[in-house]
Amino acid sequence: MNDANRSATPGRRTVLRAALAVGAANLAPPFILSARGEQPVLIGLCNPLTGTYAGVGKNELSGCELAVTQINGKGGILGRPVELRVEDSTSGDAGTAVQKARKLIERDKVDFLLGNVNSALALAMAQVSNEKNILHIVPGGHTDAITGATCHWNVFRVCNATQMEANASAQQLIEKAGRKWYYITPDYAFGHTLQAALEKAAERLGGTKVGADLAPLGTTDFSSYLIKAQAANPEVIIFLPQGDDMVNALKQAVQFGLDKRIHLAGAQQELESLEGLPPEARIGSWVFEWYWKQPGVPHVAEFVEAIRKKTGKVPTARTWFGFVSTWSCALAAQAAKSMDAPKMAKALGGMTLPPEIALVPDPALYRAEDHQLVASLFVGNAQAGGTDPEDLFNVSRVVRGADVAGRVEDSPCKMVWPS
Amino acid sequence: MLQLILFNVFNGLIVGAFYALMALGLSLIINLSGVINFAHGGFLALGAYLAYSLMPLVGFWGALVVAPLLTAALGLAIERLLIRRVYGRDPLYSLLLTFGLAYILEDVTRYIWGPQSLPYPIPAVLTRPLSTQFFFLTGYRLFMVALVGLAVAALFFVLGRTRLGIRIRAGTLDLETVSALGVNVRVLRNLNFGLGIYLAGLAGVLAAGMLGLQPTIGTSLIMPSFVAIIVGGLGSLPGTLLGGLLIGVVSGLATVFLPSASEAVIYVMMGLVLLLRPRGLLGEEGRLK
Repeated sequence: MNDANRSATPGRRTVLRAALAVGAANLAPPFILSARGEQPVLIGLCNPLTGTYAGVGKNELSGCELAVTQINGKGGILGRPVELRVEDSTSGDAGTAVQKARKLIERDKVDFLLGNVNSALALAMAQVSNEKNILHIVPGGHTDAITGATCHWNVFRVCNATQMEANASAQQLIEKAGRKWYYITPDYAFGHTLQAALEKAAERLGGTKVGADLAPLGTTDFSSYLIKAQAANPEVIIFLPQGDDMVNALKQAVQFGLDKRIHLAGAQQELESLEGLPPEARIGSWVFEWYWKQPGVPHVAEFVEAIRKKTGKVPTARTWFGFVSTWSCALAAQAAKSMDAPKMAKALGGMTLPPEIALVPDPALYRAEDHQLVASLFVGNAQAGGTDPEDLFNVSRVVRGADVAGRVEDSPCKMVWPS
Repeated sequence: MLQLILFNVFNGLIVGAFYALMALGLSLIINLSGVINFAHGGFLALGAYLAYSLMPLVGFWGALVVAPLLTAALGLAIERLLIRRVYGRDPLYSLLLTFGLAYILEDVTRYIWGPQSLPYPIPAVLTRPLSTQFFFLTGYRLFMVALVGLAVAALFFVLGRTRLGIRIRAGTLDLETVSALGVNVRVLRNLNFGLGIYLAGLAGVLAAGMLGLQPTIGTSLIMPSFVAIIVGGLGSLPGTLLGGLLIGVVSGLATVFLPSASEAVIYVMMGLVLLLRPRGLLGEEGRLK
């Protein structure tokens, strides 16, 4: 009798240990992409390529790649070619993100660092980039602290702070949907700050909170949250989860028919999420940070065409974040005429982006005081399909970023520059 | 408040039924082959995506039948090629193998179907909630519970009444003797693995209708299934079923009182079961190692 035929049922302890191991190991899938060249300027992107944010991370990557091609086509950065180094930060593990950021800085010797989609990971990476004096651009991590309480001289952000999104969306919601709000909020930095900002904005306009629940990141089943929300009898249910979690939550709400009785809405919405929803669930009032249909705004059509040619799909806000972030590196170096990080940071602070890169109707400006980009926000409603199969959002109003960004004087950001 | 709790208990049973379906497949394979199949979630995702691709050709109902069978066929092939080699070895081998396989399956789905979520259309008959009061009882969710019930009944019938099932159960208890009695253990394990993967594929198609498609769908659903097995008692299929239902109810109730703990609470429950009744709720004494 050979070994293979023995009863080999593993014990409970083995199953238990194994289950713990898979839980931990899930957080660290390795993924490395690299390229070689001669004395190029290196831009390191440490962003999710796996997990919940893989989809949006990939779109940011497409934007970065297009920008790199364009920059090289125009002679590179200070005459040197540009290369992108990409690392998978995972979607939720700050340890991995920091380790990959360190690898990019210490081993690959990148000149710029980009990332991260996840706010918590972006904050952790910002500490590393600050310690290493590397110019760091956060394309799409929204929590206020990045350009607020924990701002750094070397860190810039392209996407909006949560507070800006809250201010832009609150007014439309109060006017059109109702004053009694129930929040379903993802349980991490981004969700907490977004909910706090919305509560503040709603209060100013006479809105009230009738309840709120924190849902762990990666929640698949939102039914029990929806049961609870419905029982609180709100006029509006505010959905703050992002990515796949948002898709799951909205889809279930529509399956339950809640959209017939309660207004479903939120602050930030993304084309990626709407694409993942069945047409009947593409509903609600939201804020887009960038939209591909901007009639009359110069250079947007060319950008849409270029991305369509590259990926077969229209660019999303994420593509735009990646594109603007990468171009910002080149603009900073060109304005500073140097690759010295403090000089580049000084040059980028206060800079208004040229229209072929800004791609929005309002002037896109990096505020010198907190390094937050203020551009335009697009308020409107999700729609099952417009003139184009990818036209899933109907913009009702474009809000100037400067109007919702709050005053610089009120910002908790205290920037300390290297001496 | 009472209504809220009652709603969540019912809702938890619905969610739990789904976990149970996945856990049963996992449990079958552990019991007979001693392989803790971490790739179970990967097979689930594959079943879901196969159904998505098949739907334009054979429709929703056709995909529901064909996709799990295709997934099971792939499971049979993978067992034949890879899993078979680690039987009887230290559990670490099968852990590493299936763990790697899980990543490969996830990345294959991501490569073929893209990283972004895709909507999975379900027939209009199933989409409506049955009443405004019990809005969480949609046609689809009831259909899902009925199908899980049917699958569980069929599984227990196969295990209890058919020659294959009796051999699987006998093999679970004492594989050496079964082998000595002339049963081809290789074929038995192969079929058993296929049966487990069939359940994963079925769970995948059902999950797709409920949640839509994401490459990570399997990974996010597999952990509760492990907990279900441990809570219910390793080696006991009714225990696994009970464990799955319990998890659904407990995590639903946690949402009423402390929503941010709704995921952690199932692990707390597992910890409690291990402390108070280490063999699990319906586990048999003496099968511990």
